Amino acid sequence: MLTRTEGIVLKTLPYGEADLIVSYLTPDYGLLKTFAKSPRKIKSRFGSSLEPLTYSRISFWGKEHASLPRLTQSDILHSFYLLRERMDYFFKIIEIIELTLNFIQEMDANKKIFLLFLDTLRLIEEDYIYIKKSFNKEDAFNISRIGLLVNNYKVKFLKFSGFAPKIDSCGRCGNTGNNFYISQGSVLCESCVKESSVLVSGGLSMIRLSLPVIKFYNALMTWDTRKIIRIKPSMNLLEELSNVLNLHIKYIISKPLKTRT
Amino acid sequence: MEQGIIENLIKELSKLPGIGRKTAQRLAFFILSMPSEEAKSIANAILEVKEKARFCKNCFNITDEEICSICRNNSRDSSKVCVVEEPSNIIVIERSGVFNGLYHVLLGALSPIDGITPDRLKINELIERVRSDSVQEIIIATNPNTKGEMTAQYIREVLKPYNIKVTRIAYGLPIGGDIEFADEVTLGKALEGRREI
Repeated sequence: MLTRTEGIVLKTLPYGEADLIVSYLTPDYGLLKTFAKSPRKIKSRFGSSLEPLTYSRISFWGKEHASLPRLTQSDILHSFYLLRERMDYFFKIIEIIELTLNFIQEMDANKKIFLLFLDTLRLIEEDYIYIKKSFNKEDAFNISRIGLLVNNYKVKFLKFSGFAPKIDSCGRCGNTGNNFYISQGSVLCESCVKESSVLVSGGLSMIRLSLPVIKFYNALMTWDTRKIIRIKPSMNLLEELSNVLNLHIKYIISKPLKTRT
Repeated sequence: MEQGIIENLIKELSKLPGIGRKTAQRLAFFILSMPSEEAKSIANAILEVKEKARFCKNCFNITDEEICSICRNNSRDSSKVCVVEEPSNIIVIERSGVFNGLYHVLLGALSPIDGITPDRLKINELIERVRSDSVQEIIIATNPNTKGEMTAQYIREVLKPYNIKVTRIAYGLPIGGDIEFADEVTLGKALEGRREI
């Protein structure tokens, strides 16, 4: 059956002499792995459309629910080639690609995550173009909002996929607290910690969160991404939130993200 | 029994890239019809390459000696080093007949998502060559894809302190192709890299 959808290339894996297995993030099929015949050959009709981050309209051929359908067509809707131009930008984006690949399942459609990914790429590109025009190219990365956008993606992605950590209040009683317990995926207040002998004797790893990071996290959870880019958090705040999120992610997937090691 | 050995040969041949069962079958029957000496010579060539092939100490090309024939060749321009991802890339560039310098094989390309970090490539060895040899130009000929591009940028960054010329092979349209069928990124890069004629 020939099927059409839209997708963003997350990853490609060389297969055989000149073939590729292309992993797409799609709005209709979640993670979609397809087999592309000979795209690595110079005169391939796929051209650059299978490069990571390319947003395309694709057609693939295969039995319903069969794994690895054959990619027959890929028309670029937006190449995002600017984001592949600079190593520092691209390495930050790889973090969100790896996160997505670790959580999203095949045939598990999640339109919200697809739109979030697409929107994040668009905003990072807009930011890059603006900074490239306004400032010295070398300074671009330091002034850019890519750190904010990557954190925003991680928070919203965890929310949409159902793995968001509970930071605003105690996960057991709802009282205020600022000690985040990684294995609980939540903040726990002092009385709940005292009540639970398992937690105390287990010596579970805990992070003390600052008030600004709790407020910042709540803003990322609730505000629209287009509003988020108006705020200018400090590097320390971004780093603190990033640290909490990465430890939480590491606990859920039982391994650290390769891009963070 | 005979069916077994033929079947075994077909199975082994079909492990080769680009060879399906049907081609493997054709090859197996062709080998069967060959004179014994020729068949033995093929088998020996395979064994020899597996036993003797190793990486060149200088450039990491595949060779059967400590230093490969390209590095040993005194008539080549040692001030230019072309950086490639795989030893197979050297054969293609050599076939073009335009480059007369030396090579450096990285044995891969950067890919953090797959855990391929700079320390897993022969980048430190390249820096060492730049430091100790009389290299004046590094030509980066990694693949024109995202991994190759990131590797090229990384090499450019790490070679900055050495004040040598670092160049990248050009992007463009393949000879014999039609502009009509080119994608916008390739065409855009070809226009950016245009030159006066």
